[in-house]
Amino acid sequence: MTSGRGGKVLAILMCAVAALSAHATAQTSSAQLSVNLTVQSSISLIFKDNASVGTAGFCPLTNSGTNNVGLDLGTAAFPGNSHTSTCVNYTHLNGAIYQVSSAFDVLVTKSNTSSPTYRLAAQTSTVPPNGVTWLIDNTALTTGFQTLDTADNFGQAITKTLQVQVRNNVPAQVLQETITFLATAN
Amino acid sequence: MAAVMVLLSSAAVWAQNPTASGVINGTLVNKDGITLLFNSDPQSVTLGGAGTSAASLDFGSISAFGPLAAGVTRPTVTATNYTVRSLFDIQVIQGGLTSTTYTLQAQLAAAAPTGLSYRVDAITLGTASQTLQTTATYGVDIQHSLDLVILKAAPGAGGPATGTPLTTTINFTATAN
Repeated sequence: MTSGRGGKVLAILMCAVAALSAHATAQTSSAQLSVNLTVQSSISLIFKDNASVGTAGFCPLTNSGTNNVGLDLGTAAFPGNSHTSTCVNYTHLNGAIYQVSSAFDVLVTKSNTSSPTYRLAAQTSTVPPNGVTWLIDNTALTTGFQTLDTADNFGQAITKTLQVQVRNNVPAQVLQETITFLATAN
Repeated sequence: MAAVMVLLSSAAVWAQNPTASGVINGTLVNKDGITLLFNSDPQSVTLGGAGTSAASLDFGSISAFGPLAAGVTRPTVTATNYTVRSLFDIQVIQGGLTSTTYTLQAQLAAAAPTGLSYRVDAITLGTASQTLQTTATYGVDIQHSLDLVILKAAPGAGGPATGTPLTTTINFTATAN
């Protein structure tokens, strides 16, 4: 009789402990977030001031460090080797044409590609007035892309020189051109 | 006079219809519990399965320099890696508990793909559970950031596979405090 009552008590205690332990377990909730993506290789081109910026032949860029910069070559005229900018190179190529030039750097970087090098090309946005030629490193630009380099290394700045050649019969005017550079991974 | 009133009262009792009564003993076991839901965050990627506990977040095509899908941002690009980000919300609902806050943890279901790491609220996730919050509030959308940090190295040189869809599952657990 005594052992029967003891068994009941034990059973009640076990139930109580079980109930208590159930309440003691912290409530949790789980959920899953599935994340999807596709990585694509890409490259970037920016223009930078050359280390010699400010000296003759190296004018400062506006918005240097971006892919959309400005390069002001100042005012120049054929007679008297006249030019106002102190950072340009001014020369007479012959008896009828003068040239103003300034150099800057191009930096192309890559991501998620094994391509070791890139090609660089450039073009003008409009046809310049007669007697005016825009050049990069002595390559005359047109409204179609002209290849400048075929195997430049990523991550290494290369120096390019913008030249404007003006014949002495070109009327006085503002010469303005947008030059687009295109880097293509090899 | 008193005798007449007693007779009238007795007649009224006999005129009522018979009645019966009963009771229902209702029982309901109110269990406690919590649930975790994902919700889309405004200005970020719209979740697939928003409002459920099994959602998906599609970053689309990502790259260091190219365009990104709507709602995806690229907070940093360094010499060695870049980060793309989207925000999402988590709402945890509780019932039957005296708990007023919860602890939020997360972990990757499997190792991250090569060249990728996953950060929630700037905490890098692995296959072991990481605590994100210790006293989060129930019943409100709480914004979280999911950052993917991608190495810029080429595939096969430590960088991720390119042009191939990659899927990773992040398990979140909310525990009542």
